[in-house]
Amino acid sequence: MAENAERSEETLYKPSPKSIEREKQAMEEEPKEDLSSLLLPNLNDLPQNPPTAVKFNFSRYFLPDFTKPGHDQYIYRHANGLCVIGLAQAHVALKEEGGVTAVDFNVGKSDRSELKVTGKRKRNAQHFESNSALCKVCTNDNFYIVRCCVKGSLLEVNDRLIKQPGLLNSSADREGYVAIIMPKQGDWLKIKDSLLSYEDYVKLRGLL
Amino acid sequence: MTSPGPAIEWQTALGNAKLCLPPSHVIRDLLSTGVCVRCIFRLSGIHDRDCYISPINESELISFLEEQNEIECNSTTITNCCVCLGVLCPSCVVPEKSGADLRERSSVNELALLISDMVKGEQYQIDEFSLEVSLPPVITANERALRLYLKQKYEKEQWFKDTFLRVHISVKDTLKLVLNASLENYLAVQNVETLSSSFRIRLTYSHSETSQKLQSMLPNGHDSKKREKGSRENGSSKNCNEPDASAYRVLELIEDQNFCSQFQVPPGKVDKPCQLVVACCRTPTYIGGRYLKYSRNVSQSRWIIDDERMGETSVEEIIGENVRQICQGDGYKFHSAGREDIDVRMLGSGRPFLVEVSNSRIVPSSTEIEQISDKINHTDKQLVGVKNLKLVGAEAWDLMREGEAEKQKQYAALVWISRPLNVDDVCNLTSLKDMEISQKTPIRVLHRRSPLERSKVIHWMKIEKVEGTTQYFLLHLCTQAGTYIKEFVHGDLGRTHPSIGSILGCRAEILQLDVTDVKMDYFD
Repeated sequence: MAENAERSEETLYKPSPKSIEREKQAMEEEPKEDLSSLLLPNLNDLPQNPPTAVKFNFSRYFLPDFTKPGHDQYIYRHANGLCVIGLAQAHVALKEEGGVTAVDFNVGKSDRSELKVTGKRKRNAQHFESNSALCKVCTNDNFYIVRCCVKGSLLEVNDRLIKQPGLLNSSADREGYVAIIMPKQGDWLKIKDSLLSYEDYVKLRGLL
Repeated sequence: MTSPGPAIEWQTALGNAKLCLPPSHVIRDLLSTGVCVRCIFRLSGIHDRDCYISPINESELISFLEEQNEIECNSTTITNCCVCLGVLCPSCVVPEKSGADLRERSSVNELALLISDMVKGEQYQIDEFSLEVSLPPVITANERALRLYLKQKYEKEQWFKDTFLRVHISVKDTLKLVLNASLENYLAVQNVETLSSSFRIRLTYSHSETSQKLQSMLPNGHDSKKREKGSRENGSSKNCNEPDASAYRVLELIEDQNFCSQFQVPPGKVDKPCQLVVACCRTPTYIGGRYLKYSRNVSQSRWIIDDERMGETSVEEIIGENVRQICQGDGYKFHSAGREDIDVRMLGSGRPFLVEVSNSRIVPSSTEIEQISDKINHTDKQLVGVKNLKLVGAEAWDLMREGEAEKQKQYAALVWISRPLNVDDVCNLTSLKDMEISQKTPIRVLHRRSPLERSKVIHWMKIEKVEGTTQYFLLHLCTQAGTYIKEFVHGDLGRTHPSIGSILGCRAEILQLDVTDVKMDYFD
């Protein structure tokens, strides 16, 4: 339908010596009509299930059995170097009866939810090692430690998890992320090759 | 005399000037001290330009005053006046021009010709000009030294008490008096006195020999260190403005007694005249308008990471370069009222922008402006377009920035949701007016912006269905400036709330974004 609209637009305006993309030049003279037709997408270009914002904007990596069996975590790395850390689909905590009931960021030497990082340079961010604890995730019977996975500065923890621990049960792969870490280029390169891609992780755990 | 006497105008002028001049014994004294004829004229308060352009030399002046008809013609013309250091003297300033008999041609015209050749050589088109003169502080010191000398010697004499104390014209003003008329003649345009013309001709005089002496003489310890550091870094002291400014300050504060003990009174003779650098430049020219971006692969400003360019080209380069070319400028700067991502089109009204062209050789007329417009709008690949292009003043920059945070923007986003769109959804979204949302700094910019939570307003939303689909729709929305639209749609992992997804209770993704209106009064 959009294609037809394009063709009829061509005949409405004066023909020009230039080639097919006349609609764009006509835009100056007839803004409103052209604008609508420009905005409408070509139906053939619309996928049934478009890629998610996460898939589109990040490279997804997985660490199965990180420090302990069943402790599967993910790292979503953005092109700008920032890493979003969270629980992967087959994490043992997510399989328990009742799922996750509470999240506590007060682990190690400080309460991670109380850090305040300021400024463009984020100089006052705390530095953590890859096996430093980020938080404790509790289920009915157990608790599990979630770790950084990559060495770097901790920019943010998802403090929404404190009031809404259920986010881990419903969307651990999106709104239930745990933290955002900024690693140095060198520290990232050290661990990169030991990580699994999404496809390999899915195969490993027999998901989907 | 080697050539016939001064022309009639000069004779008349000199005749009239005679009354202002001090007695001839003073003139002899001044001349033997090394003060040039023109400095004598200006110190006597003579305003008549004809006096200054007359090629009268020292002995001729004496004979003129004493009404002798016989004179010795072998006294040389003072080229390095101890006060003005040659700035006002006939021969010094012009670079060696072989065969130029300076008695025949006024050197003022030589200099004016040099300047006008430079202006024409660069193909500047001008309506007017302003002359800027920069002199070394040592000239001020010389002047003071001379006046102190005269005071010491002649303060009891009548002529001194009557007139000399009251009148004198500065070296700078004398030079301008003499030069402006010649320049107006050669350039065929008017001079504008108060530096308000956009075209500036700058004459920078320097005299390293005495300037260095002055610096070390004056009691400013820390300043001389500054100057040393400055000259080591810049190479030549004439480029530093700081030593000049501090020298003027010190001269102002120092008392006569102190001054006399430090500085030679009267000023000493010098071997060489001042050096002159002539430069001309136009103040920035501003061209403003609105731009449209039709491509999803063109960044707004030049974007290069690790030697690799992101995107095909940039709005800045397409518009800036075309403007610069037609204005024949040296360079350009591109400013705009906000920006959009590389993959977001700018449609509809367009976004206001300003191009600042440095040292443009021409000031574009409406014809040239149209040329620029046509050039940009009729390229083969229509990546960028411009409208309402026009010449604007420097205040345009402030006008564009004014109230940036209040400006509203309108967008059209192609949204997909994880379930079919229903009637309630449409009502839901369209009924929300001036809704406040909270956005944590989006992850995609978090590496270079402060981690903050920003409150923004979504003024209204409209849904346009996409026929043939149930889960896609066009979201038209009007928001406060600074709102991150993409994050408002997909929620940025919950860091923007509410978001389209949270309002509709499902997952929402954004596939395309276009800016459809940037509401701004100016540049319309």
